[in-house]
Amino acid sequence: MRKYITIILFLLTLTFSSFVNGQQRFPKPEFSTGYVTPSPTTPEPRASLLEYTDVVILVIVLSIASWIALKKRSRRLMLWLSVFSLLYFGFYREGCICSIGAIQNVTLTLFDPLYAISLTALLFFLIPLIFTLFFGRTFCAAACPLGAIQDLLIITPFSTPVWIRKTLGFIPYVYLGLAVLYAATGTDFIICRYDPFVGFFRANASFNMFLIGAAFLGLGLFFARPYCRIFCPYGAILNLMSRFSWKHLTITPAQCIQCKLCSTSCPFDAIEQPTEDQKSDELQGVNLKRFIIFGLLIPVWILAGGYIGSKSSVFLSKANPKIYLTELLIAHPELKNDVNNIDIQTFLTSGKSFEVQVKEAEIIRHKFYIGGWIFGGFLGFVIGMMLMNQSVFRKRKDYQPSKSDCYSCGRCLKYCPVKKDGTVDEISKDITH
Amino acid sequence: MKDQTTKLKFLYRLMLVTGIFCSIVTILLLLNFWQIQHNKPLDNVALKTLVDRLTADPNNDALKVDIRNLDLLARKAYFNSEWQVVTGGILLLFGAIVFFTALKVYRDIQAKIEVPVDLGRNAAIARILSQRWLLVTIGILFVGALSASYLSKDYLKIYNLSVNGSLKTGNSQIQQVNITSAAGTVTDSISKNDSAKGPKATVLLSIAEIKKQSNSFRGPFGNGVSTHKNIPVSWNGAKGTKVIWKVKVPKSGYNSPVIWGDKVFVSGADNKSEVVFCYDLLTGKLLWQHDAGKIPGSPAARPEVSQDTGLSPSTLVVDGQRVFAIFPTGDLICLDMDGNPIWSKNIGEPDNHYGHASSLIALQDKLFIQYDSNKGGRIIALNVLTGNTVWDIRRKTQISWSSPVIMVANNKTQLVTTSNPLVAGYDTQTGKELWSVDCMSGEVAPSVCYGGGLVFAGNDNAKLVAIQPGTPAKILWESDEILPEVSSPVVSDGLLFICTSSGTIACIDATTGKKQWENDFGTGFYSSPVITEGKIYAIDMGGKMHILKVSRDKKIVGEPTLGEKAFATPAFTDGRIVIRGVNNLFCIGDK
Repeated sequence: MRKYITIILFLLTLTFSSFVNGQQRFPKPEFSTGYVTPSPTTPEPRASLLEYTDVVILVIVLSIASWIALKKRSRRLMLWLSVFSLLYFGFYREGCICSIGAIQNVTLTLFDPLYAISLTALLFFLIPLIFTLFFGRTFCAAACPLGAIQDLLIITPFSTPVWIRKTLGFIPYVYLGLAVLYAATGTDFIICRYDPFVGFFRANASFNMFLIGAAFLGLGLFFARPYCRIFCPYGAILNLMSRFSWKHLTITPAQCIQCKLCSTSCPFDAIEQPTEDQKSDELQGVNLKRFIIFGLLIPVWILAGGYIGSKSSVFLSKANPKIYLTELLIAHPELKNDVNNIDIQTFLTSGKSFEVQVKEAEIIRHKFYIGGWIFGGFLGFVIGMMLMNQSVFRKRKDYQPSKSDCYSCGRCLKYCPVKKDGTVDEISKDITH
Repeated sequence: MKDQTTKLKFLYRLMLVTGIFCSIVTILLLLNFWQIQHNKPLDNVALKTLVDRLTADPNNDALKVDIRNLDLLARKAYFNSEWQVVTGGILLLFGAIVFFTALKVYRDIQAKIEVPVDLGRNAAIARILSQRWLLVTIGILFVGALSASYLSKDYLKIYNLSVNGSLKTGNSQIQQVNITSAAGTVTDSISKNDSAKGPKATVLLSIAEIKKQSNSFRGPFGNGVSTHKNIPVSWNGAKGTKVIWKVKVPKSGYNSPVIWGDKVFVSGADNKSEVVFCYDLLTGKLLWQHDAGKIPGSPAARPEVSQDTGLSPSTLVVDGQRVFAIFPTGDLICLDMDGNPIWSKNIGEPDNHYGHASSLIALQDKLFIQYDSNKGGRIIALNVLTGNTVWDIRRKTQISWSSPVIMVANNKTQLVTTSNPLVAGYDTQTGKELWSVDCMSGEVAPSVCYGGGLVFAGNDNAKLVAIQPGTPAKILWESDEILPEVSSPVVSDGLLFICTSSGTIACIDATTGKKQWENDFGTGFYSSPVITEGKIYAIDMGGKMHILKVSRDKKIVGEPTLGEKAFATPAFTDGRIVIRGVNNLFCIGDK
């Protein structure tokens, strides 16, 4: 019955949305020759009602995903919900607005007094975080279209060693820091620009972006969710918040019987093994020393990272269009005569003196210098904490999903023979990946 | 079981078909994409050839038809290819969906429960390995970032250094070698500039060379002391006695004439234009005039200015190769000695209720502008070759109308300014404040003068001070008995001279501040006095020049008249004085 209700709601939403058209503030001219204006690089603005509809749908999806993960415990339902999210947030909404990109909107509104973030963008940023704090990474399970498209293409995932996972796990923080730095300086929204899957959602992207997207999907056949695990900056935040979640998906609904059937069920290697049979005291002694040393080194990491970040401000800031143009004119003044260079010609006809341009570029570079300190210091802090975290040896009795790494997709649920009442079922052969 | 085998077979065949389909579509898409990249209608070679032919033969109608047809075909082919790419993409998408769905179902059916691996103690080793690889990763990242930072060129920094002249840039627009040996030290030096506009070589002149000219407001370095000789002491402008030439300046302005060699420069402005005029010193012939024109950033309308200020109050400065002029609009222009424009810019319309009136001054490769306004104090140094900012300092002063003076002491130079509340000296190379004294108040219009190791500054309703510059600078004496309002004081041979707006000239002992004499001449002074050959020349607003000896006793040498009102300060050269009346420019001397 619930299944039918879900399908009906989904169809109603699609039907409702298809009848309401967005309003253009400045309507395009109508050509008598039947010329069709090509679609812009960003989706056309929608009516406010539809924007809030997106938020409502996000809340509904997250609520359902949380219910599925914690109460219903059904991989099949989670799968279909993720398909809905892929179709709605991905193909229908063309991947915009998304919670991952909303990081930049929030950053820009904090640093640019002239930019006012829309309520929708703010809610898209905050709502998944709130749900994660309560119920774990259910956003990744079923609401994120980027995660959904990768999740559907997992065919033969291979397990990666811990050291590879932990090392690659540092990259999302680097990407998050860069995204915030570039957004704060008004340079670019790199998360949106380098979204590998938005080209598929819009059926429109440069050849290189299509190639990158295809490469991610191809890699995802064997290395599950590569973008989520290696790059996603929003995932870095969710990773942290999920550690403190009030509730989280568990593999077993009752007491774990240590049957080990779930140990290889997770394509993301997010299941933590019990530690009772290890010589924990001996290990604890070794790790305590490391813990203290790495803890004391955190200020050193922060300072070193900050220093290097500040030094990197020169090459990082070259991505800023104003700095790029200014340095281009300094390095190649003969380009002033190049009539085909639109950027230079636009500048020359603007009436702005080159001196003013240089001054403005210097102001931006200084912002990068300060931002570089903060970015590098942040990375130093992260690395210090990661090293410290690796020294912490936590005793574990049962097989349980890692609160930080588990996407709550529910794949492991079918592997567990324990029922809610604590009885043990026969080994299920109906396993869906 | 049999069902499963049938299912697996079906799925396998489905995967095969869709896989082949997707591969073919992908190859076709790639080919199509390559075609689009290489066959853009705008880059069509045949089309370009036809267009070139049409340019040579514009009346060829048949050719026009051919071009239109070929253009239409090219566009059709292009958009057709685009449509094919889009359609192929959709087909590929559906094919891929079917393929991957079949693959997933196939894998699901084949899935088996795997024997779990017991990690045992490996977990601890794994952590240690993780830590090591994290350290390696961060090491690579840090080394990479540091290397990239050292390999990256900071062109903004290179640009600023090249503008300061302390770096050989190799930039074809700026190749300047500044061989001054220390900050502010003036030496003869040559630098090369191969800019497309302006002179090919820039000569940085010595103090002695500059002193031979009358190149700025109140003479060389703005100090009001001239070394010129055989200056006339009598003339009659109305009758033409000793008037070598007299010309009407087409546009009015209260700026003072400046002289370099045998050229006299003034400027004038009205609501229509801002113009620099150049006259022959010997004949008074107008050699050239240059209209500043529309400078980017210039305000659409002229600013509100007082009648006493006008639209062209700031005196020009000449460095021997370039002439610089500034107007209350913030327009600043640089011309060569023949009136050809070198550069121009607008440095922002100042918030000035009377109108910007501070005059320019230049030294070596820098042009200095005292740009105090209601928005605060500011001094700007620009590169004379390019107009680029060398340094630009903000200071905690209020608006002023005085002009900067270059103080030369022990062969070192500093820029000295007076405003409310500071009288200060700045390093001409860097703009760094060398000394300052908080002693001035009110709306400061008179500039400083210096002599005998002291700097003198004064303002109406404030005080007259003598400052010993240094670290710290000290006030030697101060007085409020006789104060200048507009006219700047001048000092020579231990005697300081003040001209007031009420018509008084006073002589004060420069060391003690004690008044030596004063005389009320009845008509006020807006122009500033100049001392030359032991005589002080002060022209009042009525056009009468009061010539007195530089002496502790009042000795009037002469009081020739111009025949018209005068607010500007005269310029001197050997045997001649150039005086600007409100209407005419006079050259006084022996014919």
